[in-house]
Amino acid sequence: MNNPEVVPDKSTDPTALKAQATRLLSSYCVSCHGPNQPEGGVQLSSLETMRATDRQKLFQQIRDVLHLSQMPPAEAKQPTDAERNILIKWSTTQIVGNAEVTGNAKALAEKLQRFEYGNVVDHEALFSGENAELPGYTTDRRWLISEYIFNEKINHLLDYKSNRTIHGMPQQVRGDSGVHWSPKTERGNKFRRTIANPYLLPATVGVRYIAHKRLNTGHLLTMVGNAKRVAGHMSAEQTMKENYPAMYQLMKPELETREKFRSRKTFLQTFAYMQHLLKQIYGPDNETLLPTLNPKDIPYPGPPQHTTNGIQARHKNLEFLDRFDKEDIQAILQGIATYKRTAYAVEEIKTKSRSDRKGNAVWSPYSKANLAEFDNILLQCERDWTREGVTDYRIQNRIVTMKLFYDTWDMSQLYNHIQKLGYSKPKYVPLSDKEMELITKSIKQHRRAGDTHQQIIDKCFTEWDTSFKTARISKPAADKDLIKQVVIELYQKIYQRQPTELEVIENSKHFNLHAAKLDLQKALGKLIESLLLSTEFAYRTEFGVGKPDEHGRRMMPSRAASYALAYALTDSSPDEQLINAASLDQLRSRQDYEREVRRMLARRDQWYIIDENVQATNLNASTTNLPIRKLRFVREFFGYPKAQEVFKDDSRFGAGRHEQAVSRLIDEADLLVEHILENDQHVFEELLTTDKFFIYHSGDNKAMAEAARQLKLVFKYFSKLDWENWTPDHIEPHREFLMTVWEFQKTRGGDNKALLTTLKRLMPALNLHFSDGQTNGMPYMKMAMGFWHGGNVLGRTGQQMRGEQVSSYWNLNWKTWDYPVHQPAPIANRKGLLTHPAWLIAHSQNLETDPIHRGKWIREKLLAGTIPDVPITVDAVIPPDQHKTLRQRMEHRTADAYCWRCHQSMDPLGFPFESYDDFGRFRTEENLEHPENLLTEARRDVTNESGASLPIYKTRPVDPSGVLRGTGDAALDGNVENAFDLIDRLSASDKVRQSIIRHAFRFFLGRNERISDSRTLMDAEKAYVDSNGSYDELIVSLLTSDSFIYRKSNSKE
Amino acid sequence: MSINRRQLLKTSVMGGASLSFMPSFSHLLAASETGSVDQPHRFIFIRKSNGNLTQQFGLPSFSSHELRKHEEKQAFEVDLAKHDLPEWLRTLDEHKDNMSILHGISMSVSGGGHYSYSGCMGAYKAGRDILSNIKRATVDFELAKLFPSPFEHVEMSLAVPHGRDHRTGIVSGYSAPAAKQRNYCYADPMTAYRELFKSVTNTEEVASDIALFDYLHEQEKRRLRGLSGAERLKISDQVASLQSIRARNSKVESLGDKVKKNLPEIDPIHEGGGEDATLPQKQAAFTDIIIGAMASGLTNVVTYTIDDLGTDITSLPENKQKTSIHQIGHGGQIANAFNMRNAIKFHHMKQVKKLVSQLKAIPERNGTMFDNTTIIYMPETGSGHHGPDTEAPMVIMTGKNSKLDLAGRYIRLPFHGTEGHKTLSNWYTTLLNAYGNPIDHYGDLDLTMQRNRLEQTGAITRFIA
Repeated sequence: MNNPEVVPDKSTDPTALKAQATRLLSSYCVSCHGPNQPEGGVQLSSLETMRATDRQKLFQQIRDVLHLSQMPPAEAKQPTDAERNILIKWSTTQIVGNAEVTGNAKALAEKLQRFEYGNVVDHEALFSGENAELPGYTTDRRWLISEYIFNEKINHLLDYKSNRTIHGMPQQVRGDSGVHWSPKTERGNKFRRTIANPYLLPATVGVRYIAHKRLNTGHLLTMVGNAKRVAGHMSAEQTMKENYPAMYQLMKPELETREKFRSRKTFLQTFAYMQHLLKQIYGPDNETLLPTLNPKDIPYPGPPQHTTNGIQARHKNLEFLDRFDKEDIQAILQGIATYKRTAYAVEEIKTKSRSDRKGNAVWSPYSKANLAEFDNILLQCERDWTREGVTDYRIQNRIVTMKLFYDTWDMSQLYNHIQKLGYSKPKYVPLSDKEMELITKSIKQHRRAGDTHQQIIDKCFTEWDTSFKTARISKPAADKDLIKQVVIELYQKIYQRQPTELEVIENSKHFNLHAAKLDLQKALGKLIESLLLSTEFAYRTEFGVGKPDEHGRRMMPSRAASYALAYALTDSSPDEQLINAASLDQLRSRQDYEREVRRMLARRDQWYIIDENVQATNLNASTTNLPIRKLRFVREFFGYPKAQEVFKDDSRFGAGRHEQAVSRLIDEADLLVEHILENDQHVFEELLTTDKFFIYHSGDNKAMAEAARQLKLVFKYFSKLDWENWTPDHIEPHREFLMTVWEFQKTRGGDNKALLTTLKRLMPALNLHFSDGQTNGMPYMKMAMGFWHGGNVLGRTGQQMRGEQVSSYWNLNWKTWDYPVHQPAPIANRKGLLTHPAWLIAHSQNLETDPIHRGKWIREKLLAGTIPDVPITVDAVIPPDQHKTLRQRMEHRTADAYCWRCHQSMDPLGFPFESYDDFGRFRTEENLEHPENLLTEARRDVTNESGASLPIYKTRPVDPSGVLRGTGDAALDGNVENAFDLIDRLSASDKVRQSIIRHAFRFFLGRNERISDSRTLMDAEKAYVDSNGSYDELIVSLLTSDSFIYRKSNSKE
Repeated sequence: MSINRRQLLKTSVMGGASLSFMPSFSHLLAASETGSVDQPHRFIFIRKSNGNLTQQFGLPSFSSHELRKHEEKQAFEVDLAKHDLPEWLRTLDEHKDNMSILHGISMSVSGGGHYSYSGCMGAYKAGRDILSNIKRATVDFELAKLFPSPFEHVEMSLAVPHGRDHRTGIVSGYSAPAAKQRNYCYADPMTAYRELFKSVTNTEEVASDIALFDYLHEQEKRRLRGLSGAERLKISDQVASLQSIRARNSKVESLGDKVKKNLPEIDPIHEGGGEDATLPQKQAAFTDIIIGAMASGLTNVVTYTIDDLGTDITSLPENKQKTSIHQIGHGGQIANAFNMRNAIKFHHMKQVKKLVSQLKAIPERNGTMFDNTTIIYMPETGSGHHGPDTEAPMVIMTGKNSKLDLAGRYIRLPFHGTEGHKTLSNWYTTLLNAYGNPIDHYGDLDLTMQRNRLEQTGAITRFIA
């Protein structure tokens, strides 16, 4: 159906309509949905007698299937358009109540706006040319920001600029929301992560970002928390100082006072300053005013304990200091430095040494003199801490820790550490005379006998805070002009525009309302919150202005156009050139649009994170410098990133951790897409048919070749030598050579013994790599090392390349594969993205393949076809049968005519991919994975040709034949032999190209195509074909089309 | 999957996204809905790290026959009243009637390893706490939907992720209000106190929030002029959202007296994130806050991460060696790791005891608040530091109005991958079914069970009273 609008015609005579409808139902529907074994359990003959609620549901269902042309089925007798309309009208009137009729009609109209119903618009009508004269346009609209735009907006407001080292150069990247992008290093931004993204796109395969979505209460509630946090950042002292001069000016008097208070606090809390000052003020009387010390009775713990050996040697690893509370460690080390009088050394009493259970003397106590001095240090520290007002628990903890150090740590090392890092008492530097006078006065006023330093400080600050607050309350209202400047400053930052006069007045009033009750900073926070919670923050606006043309269409103002273009290709607000063009009003013609689109498409100086999740899972790079949305269309359209979300069992992968390996797989699918888009020739055909892929590759051929060469060199060098029987001394003559190789450079210790160990572990691995006539070996790290070592090959972001097990999905063993260093490289049994394991996994179930969804994807995405919603009566379960393949079981289940009506559009397209299992591994035999069919259990030491340890089951041959229907080309439609045959036919089909273009239209326009977009689509196709399949030209065509450029107001508005 | 599609569609669990009530705001959503539930049931999930070693969950008074079954992981049950509890659990002796030691639930659906993040609450693998791995609203959020309250769901946490990220204030949490949504949590007691009880402790801020929403409402209403059709809806929905908040504002006060009455006292040592507070002090303060929040009707569901591998335990009096939870997990590096595990659990149980006894002291209808409370003390990753996740012993405390029938028993279910085994998904389905959500199966399916072609969907019916 071409027109998605369904408006009930109230003028129709209900009696006549019912009579007509009843006649039509009898003609077209009742033969299948009559009283005897009704299809799908839907019985139309009992409409009058069924329960009212069931009847309502049924009428809604009838109306939807009629409207979507899903019924009567294709093979049945079809009503004319007029007859169909009568049935639709009648079923609509039967949905009780006018309000509900309107509501349900609206619900259907809204349903048809969804991308999954995009194909409902007749394909022929779009590309035949019959509608090419219709003027294209998009209605004026507000478009809810996407999760990606939200991230960029937040990063802008939080001044969060994220960097990655890419190809050895630090680069600012976009698309970072603060996740731990490097899981081992915990890099990321803790504060950024507290912002919850309420604008998440649906987790579906296919184009996802649509313009008709609306804000709901969930968005608002989530944004309330976000707004508070963002406002907190923007109104923070340091941020204001750096970025918001007007706000800072407004806050200045208050901030100056705070600064003064801070310096007082720092002064009073500096180690030993208070002690010094009090002595200065009170002289000898000071001692009498101090709190009394009641030393704690805490024993020394004795030698370090060990679970099996009883006791063990003293700890030497000072890194363990990090385990303790930092404040306490600082105080302890400072205390020791202050009161240690003798040399920084200890003496062990060897005669009193103690042995572990094995009889080894592992521990001796320190000398009596050492102990006496340490006890004295402890006492002095305890006295100081008591006077300072350190909490009882902390004092106790510090003493326990000090005694633990003394008995269980190597104190000479600790002393050296203290000496080296200079923990001695800081030199006393008073504040200005005026400040010191004021502080002294306050101390004298508040100090009472027995007060700790902290108590005195607290009392002083209570006084100062109170007087500051009193002064603030009595101050005059803030300057009007300054508040205006604040509003302007915030509008520029948050909305990137100037406020109108009215907005200045309203926001000033709103700010003053809060300022009267809260402190200035909080009032500023409220003002910021109000701007962030406004619909202006959440919606992009695309409204036409000026005089409409003869079709009622208008262009967007240059500013709105700059956003439309920026958001078409990126997630960021307009770049500098777009801002300039907008400010000069130079986005007013098709040529203006084309100029900017071509410029943006050519940009390679901005890097983007493709997928934070891929990046975070396994140190993957997942970055690109293509305009991100250009790449994202291909990702979403194919849907291969979903591979990460399909829960798979490591034991069925058999080659290690699937979760990590699959993230590399997705990363390398992105790399392949990027490569094809960069070449920009026959892009769709290449995506569908390329026989070259990236497998364990960074995209840098030179670097990969060099890494592989190094390993080969080691193999050649040592393969003829008797390294197996060497002792460390044998290493010496070869040391110079070894030190040219990364794995040896990073060998811990670096002595001959360590190098030999590495060599002996490395050579068997290299033997597998090269002993079978291989030209190259896969250059993964042979020795597990921490992330900080980098690696012998690095990913694009300079981090370790992990996940060599990725080769297993491709039926390749990473240990023995004759690795092609130059990639993408031809890989056997693969053709295009539909045979890429990432796509196959994304379209699989947990334990099995998924021919239905693989077929559905092809039908909907490549053949512009529609599949009806799964009837609610269907309980979609494939019955188990351990003797049959999945295909056999499916055929048994869906062969039923009722099921087959829909499944014939999917299953025969999905079956050819049965040549790949649910991990994307090529196969000719299908494992009948059932305990009864198990022949051999998996064994870790036994791997198959893909490097995987897997159980062996009975198998049955895979039948990869299928049927292609719906290309509209008799030469292509028909039976297909296998996946390759199917893919070749698909890639040769005009309809497939057009179908991809339809989806690209949806991606870049944010809506489904209409008949009036026919010219836009045909032009886009022509641009693509005329340019030898350039995706860039297609994008230029779409973004300069009438559909993109023109806005038309909704006639009802 | 043998879950009936129709059933799935009917339940809210897999359906629309829940609203995530954010801090500083939730208090505005006064208890307009609370009246709709006759008698709310309350849930306290206490998550702990490092796994629960199965041997520490056996009973010292087992007969040799029972001990053998326990060690061989065979299914059996005993009456707790006839047995002694392990030392670390004895503090709950007087509440044995309400206690269940539940053995044999597997957590393979959420996984072992150091952390399970939201996975152990949602019965899915959360990977590295990546948003896209959050598959669904976690069970605590689902239960909160059944017993609405102003805060819906409250999460608090003493976790210090990866041991280097000491946290205070409001930070990201481990529960999920919906798929791909991460919850927030209170990372120190004073923040929790200030946020939860704000309506009576900080009226100034509440008033400013109300003023802000009034202003926004007026602004958006004005935008509606001249709009119609779909574009009008885009604004009018926002106006309606703001309006609903305004409508609820007036009901906030109705809870005021109850909140005041149950306001806990928090030691000033917890100011500024509570740097000087010891771990037991922090635990005790959180317990007081949970009791206060529940008693005042602010929430019916609390998820509390009582520790994770990075939580500093140097202030536990038993921790003479100043060791860490992570090191204890690795066991061999220090002496008495086994005992330290018990010491940690002992401190946890002290808090459970406080929760139980104080809730028992608060009258409710003809009984006490505890009658309508369930406390689940569970490991986040199974039965060890890195797993295995095939077992996950738990302690469950249930009041007398509980819809679960397992109190007073030590229960061991069939082992993972065998006939009759129950997964975390089954356990959560049981909780949901028992309390009014009829979902056929909540959570992921266990792939080992699936591979072995064993039935694994649905609730553990024998537990449903």
